[in-house]
Amino acid sequence: MTHIIIIGGGLTGLYASIIAVDRAAKVTTVFQGRGGLSLSHGCIDVLDRSAPSRSLARLSDHHPYKLSGIANLKDALSKFRELMLHAGYPFTGKLSKSISILTALGSIKRTSFAPSGIARGDLNSCEPIVLGHFSGFRDFYPKMIQKRALKSGVKIAKVIDLPLLEPPVLRAAYSTDYALRFEDSGWREEIIRMWRPLLPGVKRLGLPAVLGIQNHCEILEELEDSLGVDIFEIPSLPPSVPGLRIERILLRQAQTLGVNIIEGVGVIGRIDGRSRGKRVAGVVLHSTGRTIQLDADAVLLATGGFLNGGLVAQQDHRIRESVFDLPVLHPTNRSDWVGLSLFHRQEYASTGVFVNSRMQPLGLDEKPMFKNLYAAGGLLAGSDRSIEGSRQGIDLATAYCAVNEALR
Amino acid sequence: MSSLSTQVLVIGGGATGLGIAWDAALRGLKVVLIEQSDIGQGTSGRHHGLLHSGGRYALSDPVSARDCASENRILREIAAHTIEDTGGLFVATPADPVDYPDRWLSACSHLNIPTEEISLSAMLEREPLLNPRISRSFLVQDASIDSFDLAHVLVSGIEEHGGVVLLRHQLESLIIDQDRLVEAKIRNRLNGKSLSLSANLFINAAGPWAKTITTMAGVELPLALGKGTLVAMSRRLVNTVVNRCKPPSDGDIIVPVGTVAILGTTDIPVKEPTSLDVEPWEVDLLLAEGDLLLPGLRDSRPLRTWAGIRPLYRPAENGNTQTRALLRSHVILDHEESDGLQCFISVIGGKLTTFRLMAEETVDLICDKLEIDQKCSTASTPLPNESGHFYSLTSRLEKLERQPLHASTDQIVCECELVTRGDIEFALDKSVTGTELDDLRRDLRMGMGPCQAGFCAYRTYAISSEHSSSPPSLNGLHNFLYERWKGIRPVAWGSTLQQMEFSRRIYLDLLAAGPESEIRS
Repeated sequence: MTHIIIIGGGLTGLYASIIAVDRAAKVTTVFQGRGGLSLSHGCIDVLDRSAPSRSLARLSDHHPYKLSGIANLKDALSKFRELMLHAGYPFTGKLSKSISILTALGSIKRTSFAPSGIARGDLNSCEPIVLGHFSGFRDFYPKMIQKRALKSGVKIAKVIDLPLLEPPVLRAAYSTDYALRFEDSGWREEIIRMWRPLLPGVKRLGLPAVLGIQNHCEILEELEDSLGVDIFEIPSLPPSVPGLRIERILLRQAQTLGVNIIEGVGVIGRIDGRSRGKRVAGVVLHSTGRTIQLDADAVLLATGGFLNGGLVAQQDHRIRESVFDLPVLHPTNRSDWVGLSLFHRQEYASTGVFVNSRMQPLGLDEKPMFKNLYAAGGLLAGSDRSIEGSRQGIDLATAYCAVNEALR
Repeated sequence: MSSLSTQVLVIGGGATGLGIAWDAALRGLKVVLIEQSDIGQGTSGRHHGLLHSGGRYALSDPVSARDCASENRILREIAAHTIEDTGGLFVATPADPVDYPDRWLSACSHLNIPTEEISLSAMLEREPLLNPRISRSFLVQDASIDSFDLAHVLVSGIEEHGGVVLLRHQLESLIIDQDRLVEAKIRNRLNGKSLSLSANLFINAAGPWAKTITTMAGVELPLALGKGTLVAMSRRLVNTVVNRCKPPSDGDIIVPVGTVAILGTTDIPVKEPTSLDVEPWEVDLLLAEGDLLLPGLRDSRPLRTWAGIRPLYRPAENGNTQTRALLRSHVILDHEESDGLQCFISVIGGKLTTFRLMAEETVDLICDKLEIDQKCSTASTPLPNESGHFYSLTSRLEKLERQPLHASTDQIVCECELVTRGDIEFALDKSVTGTELDDLRRDLRMGMGPCQAGFCAYRTYAISSEHSSSPPSLNGLHNFLYERWKGIRPVAWGSTLQQMEFSRRIYLDLLAAGPESEIRS
């Protein structure tokens, strides 16, 4: 039985763990903090095009999709959707036609796959839209969305005030505080009673994405059935409730399948094997007051990019890969890392670890550093994911490819 | 075109111009002040917020030093609510000249600048993060002054006494009639309308832009511009202003302001008032110099950077190209004497600490020219006090904790600076149309904390859009995020870069707030 150590607890690491354990590997997943899912929108961005499948072939040779292969991307996506469907959180979408959803700013965002509760807001459907307003929720402003959407040619019929029973009374109430209220069935009964008279004639109702974390699908179904409207969610500021749903499902699934999960522990280095440093024999973990050595047949780095700590930018003009200090190519002057505006393409965003088509990190000689070390997700070079709209697609495709290669 | 006439037209809404308008209004003169953007937008809002004790210039510029010391005492009386009495320290690090402290001490005592030498253990008790290898340490009467608050109360004072402050009004041209400046053509930048203003006297207080104004009048101005870069650290680090006890140079001061500590500053000669770009080496230098005062500073997190332009007087006979060597004292130029152009006065140089004195001298000259016999009373007239007390580090928290949570207006919009929805709505209500997010930031400190507007830019944009009747454009949000980004670019490494990446996730991945998103469908 192959023992694979996966470092990272975000979308890439958790998904890879499930794929690996599915292939009968012994899997140990180690992570220090939380991954990026709670900061995301909870959709799967593959490429910000109206038809991503047509554009995928035209990417540069160093793009993560090109390296992992489009076939792996497709398999990874269907495996992910299968997983989510199995957990009762189905995703909708296809690579040949993007979904257009309203953002919490009233802009239009294209994504490839969205949980069906979000996808029901697809602007390609003509069903008229009404938005619900939760008075006092500081992260959702439907009247502003209505005004802004009109500028992009999207007409929102009206905005309705929807009262909440005992809304979270906090100076800083987050989406998760609202989501917890929705988990309470008695509370839901009350608000259904209050909302029902307010919604005659409404067909499609948009609400902030706070409709429960754990039992979202039942909650959504109950609200729709008892109110007689289609309901869709619009992702709001982090913490992302839709992202947390995915994180929870993946974590549970990994645990159920027998992944050995070690949380809150940092990996501080690798153990070089006896084959002249060509193999990684394991990793060294640092936990409170001691270090632990874990042996492995293969190691997958899924530590993320700059936001999640896989890559670290330093004042001394260097960019480092944080666990194994793998080579990272980057502009030599730090003033070239960041562009003039947040909205521009950023040099730093596409720097990272270089890999071959087997997802093995490459040395400066362009040869794999170690035979059994793999990397996937946010720490890979070759794409400014925010500009491309490709973040989750890259995570899934490269994780899938790396596990395949590691267990071959 | 509408037209207006006044006795005195002041050009420039920084501390200098506002001080002059305040003094003139107090003496009963009819005064109008025009400002091309917002009050305190230029040099007055782009420094470290130090109320000088005078110590800094005791040896290099005794005139400035003496002015600072006396004005420091006056401002503490008339504008107490804009000042945090942090006190100041001058400390000699191992890198500083050994003979300097004694020479400096005797200069201070000669100029009547109060100093008190304290033991190193007393110093470390007061500021535990200071370098234990510091050899000598002196207490002075430095303080931290909020220049935005100061500007606000000056505007209130001017308006209370019948003066008029026109924001976002740009001077287009000056009309001269037989060696006499008679009229100014002004454009309202919000609605594009023109205004013609005639006055008995025109006061050029445009700071780094002063030369643009004199050029319009066809006269020369011996103005040198020195760029000073500042770095705000993500934490306050010290509660006392800390100065290096050595001749003025790059990176010789740390000022605690609100939740942050500000490292100052460089001095680089520049050509244009818009040369505000910060170079990586300036940041590295300020961090390295600051590390001598607070060991470990080099590795702590810089929050953002900005630069201000010092407008300095350089008479033709002074060939010095280094702005650091130019005197900090102010100059009042009567263009009638220097260029034969009547009714035109330029006020240049000086420091925020001495703005009142500059105003007094300027308005004395104005009264002289207008043959009005009115004495200055600004030194004994307290400035209006709207908030009642100084905004301290914990005052917002205290206020929130004391008040019960009533409604959504008590919700926090900016977590870093504890700005509530009510604060934003209040500011929107009392402001004129065309309020930009950046104006709200200057009023409320919204977006100035460690997350640099990641969350509150969206919330504030949404609240102000819901507030206004016109369909909201994204420009306001873009401009605001652009300004925030500009200030963190020079410190884009470590957790700051991490924060920048987080902002991109919010504004690109989640909100699709990019400029092109409006045409997509």
